Amino acid sequence: MTPLEFESSNAARWGELEKLLECNQRELDPERFLTLYRMCCEHLALAQARGLPPHVIERLSIVTGRAHQIVYRQSDLGGAQVLRALTVTFPRKVRAHLPYMLAAATLLFIPAVMLGIATFVRPELVLSVVDHRTAAEFEHMYSPSAQAIGRLRDVGNDWGMFGFYIMNNIGIAFQCYVTGVVFGLGSLFFLISNGVYTGAIAGYVAARGYGGTFFTFVATHSAFELTAIVLCGGAGLRLGRSLLFPGRFRRLASLQIAARDTSSIVFGASVMLVIAAALEAFWSSAAWVAPEAKAVCAAACWLLVIIFFARRPHAD
Amino acid sequence: MNAPIDTIITAETPEGIAMQIRPAGFAVRGAAYLTDLGVRTAIVVVLISALSAGGHFGVGPMFIVTFVANWLYGIIFELLPAAATPGKRIFGLQVIMANGLPVTPAACVIRNLMRVVDFLPLLYAFGVICILLRRDARRLGDLAAGTLVTYRSEVAPSGAFGAGAPMPSPVALSARQQAAIAAFAWRVPRLTPERAEEIAGLAIGPIGTGLANAPMTERLVGIARWLHGQRRR
Repeated sequence: MTPLEFESSNAARWGELEKLLECNQRELDPERFLTLYRMCCEHLALAQARGLPPHVIERLSIVTGRAHQIVYRQSDLGGAQVLRALTVTFPRKVRAHLPYMLAAATLLFIPAVMLGIATFVRPELVLSVVDHRTAAEFEHMYSPSAQAIGRLRDVGNDWGMFGFYIMNNIGIAFQCYVTGVVFGLGSLFFLISNGVYTGAIAGYVAARGYGGTFFTFVATHSAFELTAIVLCGGAGLRLGRSLLFPGRFRRLASLQIAARDTSSIVFGASVMLVIAAALEAFWSSAAWVAPEAKAVCAAACWLLVIIFFARRPHAD
Repeated sequence: MNAPIDTIITAETPEGIAMQIRPAGFAVRGAAYLTDLGVRTAIVVVLISALSAGGHFGVGPMFIVTFVANWLYGIIFELLPAAATPGKRIFGLQVIMANGLPVTPAACVIRNLMRVVDFLPLLYAFGVICILLRRDARRLGDLAAGTLVTYRSEVAPSGAFGAGAPMPSPVALSARQQAAIAAFAWRVPRLTPERAEEIAGLAIGPIGTGLANAPMTERLVGIARWLHGQRRR
């Protein structure tokens, strides 16, 4: 069989696969598609081995290349898979990275507690962290006379704050994670600086005598928010460690493994931050809810988060 | 084997074929990025002005729109079947895994979040240097996620050879020589006649002995036609 005969006797089926590639992928007949795909692969291998005309090789490699992208697509995006990633993979990965998470928590909370005590004892120290207008703004936000607690002056309503929390908090969490790739320094920096900031404000507001409103405001959503930031920071530390101490892998391979390992943590944490933003905007800030009710709800949320990460639905 | 003269990467598939992957270089990726920047800005401007005309929810949706446009734009578009943001699609690019497989959701998230680090210290300096230094033009996000931005090849090439009457080769040709002659004959229509003749003069070797004055391009094309089974004039 000459190369041209080979082409003319098979071109119809190559054309059929080319046409199927243009169709909606959901309507494809898998069996026919795969048969044609395998046949084209076989023909491509033949064409390469026997030096068939270049345009035949080119045409077959284009059609197999495109079909290859469809055949091997992972369908991770179904509802069931996303749910599984959130409820099974996410807590499992967090448990697998427990030392990193503890390190991240230490980096966040030690500066927070230290600065909190410092600004509680000497409130003027808060000015070394924020300027006086921000301090006054926070004081105003958490004073018991505020209509809605924790609301910025220029942001109108609960929806506004919801959007703000989404943008701000998830942005911080993502930063905590990805900058870990700079040998962990980025995560280190963002964890400590967020700890310093939060601690200083908390201590200052408490020193002003608004501790009651402030802590009942923070307690509920921080179950999700602080946990998520710690998780992202811990995942970032893992990235940094993979570059600093790659072990028996090459640095690049080590980084790729670490990134793949931690991606579901970041996904889960961002979902937690959406929950936190909703709670913070619509529940924590509501001045009409009694502080006792908020305290009960906060305890329930912390319990929920702890159970979520501690439980092992399938032995792992 | 000599160092390759192009940036084509070969990936083997489970079917045992060697896929040729063409990584997209700095220029086209930069152009795609700038297009995406324009699209993103347009989306933000349009949505925000539409929302502020509605005005029930205050500034909240604006924050969310900004957040989505900044962080999720790439992730959302690259998870669609085309595996490309609008900018990449316009320039015929797509994102795949470095081993030729379709991009996974996890890789997609990582490569887009890592943009922050590629941006450092400013204006994507790190990412640009990384792309320029590597044959496969991957930025840090691509490296961490194990992805690759490649050209999507969609147009099936025409099979037309140049002009030349079929004729058998006067000497026996090895498989590599046959392939080289066929590749040349296929390129002839896209070369100027003078250039084609120049290349043919270099390539013709022993086939051309004793034919110094005949047009060598036609001769090679004729041999290619013959090799492919087109034996009648």
